[in-house]
Amino acid sequence: MGEAQKGLLSVIEKLKGSTEQEVRIVLLGLDNAGKTTLLKSLASEDVNTITPTQGFNIKSVASHGMKLNVWDIGGQRKIRPFWKKYLENTDLLIYVIDSADKKRFEETGLELSELIDEENLKGVPVLIFANKQDLATASPASEIAEGLNLHTYRDREWQIQACSAVSGEGVQDGMNWICNNIVNKKK
Amino acid sequence: MAEDDSEWVIESIVGYLGSPEWVIPVTDFMENKCTVFDDEDENKLSYTEIHAQYKKLVEKLLDNYMQEVGINEQQFLDACTSPFAKSKTLQSVFQPVLATDDFQMFRSLMVQKNMELQLQALRVIKERNGALPECLTDGVDVMAELQEQEMKILQEVLKKSKEEYDEEMCRRMRSEEEVGSTSSSCSDKPVSESREAHNAMTAPSQHGNTAKVSSKPTKKEESKTAAAGSAAKSSSTSKPKPDSGSNGVESRVLPAVRAPVKSSEPSASLIPESTRQSSSSSQSTAEVWLEEAHREAGFTKPFVELTTSQQEELQQRATYLRQQRDKLHALKKEQQKSKHTTTPVESPATTTTTNTIPEISAEEKKKLQKRKHLADKLKEEVIKK
Ligand SMILES: Nc1nc2c(ncn2[C@@H]2O[C@H](COP(=O)(O)OP(=O)(O)O)[C@@H](O)[C@H]2O)c(=O)[nH]1
Ligand SMILES: [Mg+2]
Repeated sequence: MGEAQKGLLSVIEKLKGSTEQEVRIVLLGLDNAGKTTLLKSLASEDVNTITPTQGFNIKSVASHGMKLNVWDIGGQRKIRPFWKKYLENTDLLIYVIDSADKKRFEETGLELSELIDEENLKGVPVLIFANKQDLATASPASEIAEGLNLHTYRDREWQIQACSAVSGEGVQDGMNWICNNIVNKKK
Repeated sequence: MAEDDSEWVIESIVGYLGSPEWVIPVTDFMENKCTVFDDEDENKLSYTEIHAQYKKLVEKLLDNYMQEVGINEQQFLDACTSPFAKSKTLQSVFQPVLATDDFQMFRSLMVQKNMELQLQALRVIKERNGALPECLTDGVDVMAELQEQEMKILQEVLKKSKEEYDEEMCRRMRSEEEVGSTSSSCSDKPVSESREAHNAMTAPSQHGNTAKVSSKPTKKEESKTAAAGSAAKSSSTSKPKPDSGSNGVESRVLPAVRAPVKSSEPSASLIPESTRQSSSSSQSTAEVWLEEAHREAGFTKPFVELTTSQQEELQQRATYLRQQRDKLHALKKEQQKSKHTTTPVESPATTTTTNTIPEISAEEKKKLQKRKHLADKLKEEVIKK
């Protein structure tokens, strides 16, 4: 029965039959990291009216001939337990960090390591955006990578990218990495 | 081979997707759950749970169907991907199926359903009262959304149903003591009321339009039985019970759609005092759930965790709206079955509305504008896609 249902879902999935390759990307990180700002700037939308996310946002972005469906889930502590519900069938994880918020480095590191252990994210490539690099107090990406023990990650592609969601700097580099990576993966 | 196969398979599938076995549970689900789906850009966490439930439902239905008919998944897939299935007409048939795998599409369907229910509720109110309560009309704005064609049919239907209603009342009086199954009568009766009101008042009384709206609830609550009886006895002396049942529903609906204004707008003062007082019995609860309904159906606030009682209230609202819808559906069908002929050229209702350009705040106007915009967008994106 469970098998059959699985099968049926995948049938329906194929029914969409778009020629475009669709990619599911989940955008996570602590509240105030800049996830929604990043999402909106990816979708070329105004980033000046963003309020703290209570639920989740979805934007579809065309890139490198693919359709990237990016899911930005609220990062407040009370919402984090819901993250799990959005991980199924994820092709790629973007994890956003406020590089200037040193007080919460430990907290964000813990959340990330929990995600990394999730069954649904097994082998899923991770892009970490070390955001808010425009701030003078921002830590460099290399330092953050070290703090997060990224070098201990096995069995998955990962990348850390310094960026500023506000100015847009570094964002495209990250997206390029994503697309190259997905293309490699899926072909 | 797939060619031959897919032809009958697709016919069967399309048949199934149009059959009550499919339509009823799916529509039921959507109407029950759609009230929380608003037009905000941000999604509520609760949408996800509802989408998951929807997936389960559709899987179950399709599994049963495929077993019954004896087709396997491959045949299903072949049929659905055949050129025939991709024709414009069939695309919309498949939308509810595809929505299992496409959250955005699912969300669109649900938002659209929510809109539909709200518009239908507006229609009903308008039909009952001869006009929308002032606080609801942005005159043209709202009414522009009520497709005229439908309005005409509806009016015909309602006129006709009045007779049937009276008949039914008699029958019920004889057969039934309980309030119970009032649902089928609740939209008919107020119509007869409003028609009466209309005939009776050639000249608008002191409140103009509003008076009409208020007159009914006032009567009803002062002395439920008497007023209700007199209101309905257009052709027969009716018994109070079914009436009080329908009035119960009635008293809810007016505040329901009015709530958005009331909760946030100064124009709340437009509501005749008599109405407010008269519905006192249900007022406090009504107020709560209406606010909730407003927000959730809504056009303002972000996701807030709901208490169970709030959810119940929403459920109530959904149920009510659904009842209205079902009734309208039945009536419309009936009407279309029978003669389609005598279409009233102009409805008194329409005239009334145009006469009454209510004071409405800029904010409210914006809301309505937004709503109308949404409706248009939905029509374009969802219906025509
Ligand atoms: N200086 C600076 N501020 C940013 C940047 N990205 C986001 N912010 C600000 O950080 C705050 C939180 O952003 P938001 O996108 O809501 O974070 P989220 O909670 O992760 O979705 C907002 O005030 C943003 O303007 C950035 O790159 N540089
Ligand atoms: Mg956010």
